[in-house]
Amino acid sequence: MEINESNPWKTLIALSVFILILIVGFFTMRTPLLTYKLDMKQSIKEMKNSDAYFYPWQLNGVLSKETNNVVIFDIRNSFVYGQGHIPGAENLSAQELTKEESIERLENLKDQKFTVVLYGEDQLQANGPWMLFRQVGFDNVKVLLGGYQYYMQHKNNLLATKNDPEIQKEVAKCDFAKMAAPKDGAVVKTSEAKKPVEVSRRKKSGGASGGC
Amino acid sequence: MNRNYIYLTLLMLILAIGTLMINKTKEPNQIEPKQLLFELIQPTRYVSTDQVAKMIIQNDPSLELIDVRNIKEFEAFSLPKAINVPLDSLISKNSLLNFGIQGTKVVFVSNDDIASDQAWILTKRLGYKSTYVMKGGLNLWMETIINPKQPEETESAAAFATYAFRQGAQLYFTGAKTEDSGAPKAKVEVQRKKKSGGASGGC
Repeated sequence: MEINESNPWKTLIALSVFILILIVGFFTMRTPLLTYKLDMKQSIKEMKNSDAYFYPWQLNGVLSKETNNVVIFDIRNSFVYGQGHIPGAENLSAQELTKEESIERLENLKDQKFTVVLYGEDQLQANGPWMLFRQVGFDNVKVLLGGYQYYMQHKNNLLATKNDPEIQKEVAKCDFAKMAAPKDGAVVKTSEAKKPVEVSRRKKSGGASGGC
Repeated sequence: MNRNYIYLTLLMLILAIGTLMINKTKEPNQIEPKQLLFELIQPTRYVSTDQVAKMIIQNDPSLELIDVRNIKEFEAFSLPKAINVPLDSLISKNSLLNFGIQGTKVVFVSNDDIASDQAWILTKRLGYKSTYVMKGGLNLWMETIINPKQPEETESAAAFATYAFRQGAQLYFTGAKTEDSGAPKAKVEVQRKKKSGGASGGC
């Protein structure tokens, strides 16, 4: 009976130690650095959000230092960056971008309400990182339309790019159907066409004969 | 004393159920953002228009062209055997059936390469493998395959070799086609599914 009397305390102590360990474990649990904040549907919508893009003429304000809440990151490698970059842009290559310090830095910039502009050689290069950061909730990250090449072509008159139809990507530059159609009538082309058609390739289909 | 044990068991049960709740995510198949970031900074997903042309000409059975432009543009012109999956309906269940088929290489095509790259990232996030992006898109396709430019005399032999290939490809794609690439395109989808049943061997 003596043992029984001290037992309630023992269980209580064991219990509190147990809960303590759980609490400590819970608070020190490593949360992943990045988590998706937008689901798939929102992500698709986000790509059409014109506020997610940074237009070349907006660079005017940054270059003349009128707007000072914009940080521009050049995500090309340091070698190309050294050869030339947008004035005031900082080099943060795509490789570095994946490091924790960079992501923490972006988080700091977000807290301080800075707009972050990413650009690569062309718009495509920055497209991936930009999409990812948007999807994980960095709503201050924007992509420079056209990328560095476009900037270089128009750097003397950035304001004029407002009316440049070429800045919009994903527009067919010509009538594809017309262009790909046989030009001088199909008959003429077919006789020419016979030569380059690589008939020998068809062998492939015959290769899979199995059995006895 | 018995009561203590009951309390303890109850506590354990509650905690066990609690752990089940913790890792509940809405879309469990997605890959980690960090991993996605690692994959998308690598340029290995891009294929050139020449490579795609070669695969089409060689009738590569593993090639699956996914055209992410809208239906109107797709109907006006599309690459042979391309399947239309507009970017807006990319993640619908029907569209997703096109991806992740074993032994196929999905190549995304759009007017440029931005939309196709976006489609790549979205499907990558969902964990689909062996997907590619045609760099330059159809605009570059027209420039290089349909309307190739003769290289300068000073250019390398490789440039001439590609030019020779492109000339051949140009005739292949602009010449009179025996197969009608107009209406029955949508049916292509059905053919792909047959593949899984193809394991008949022996006598």
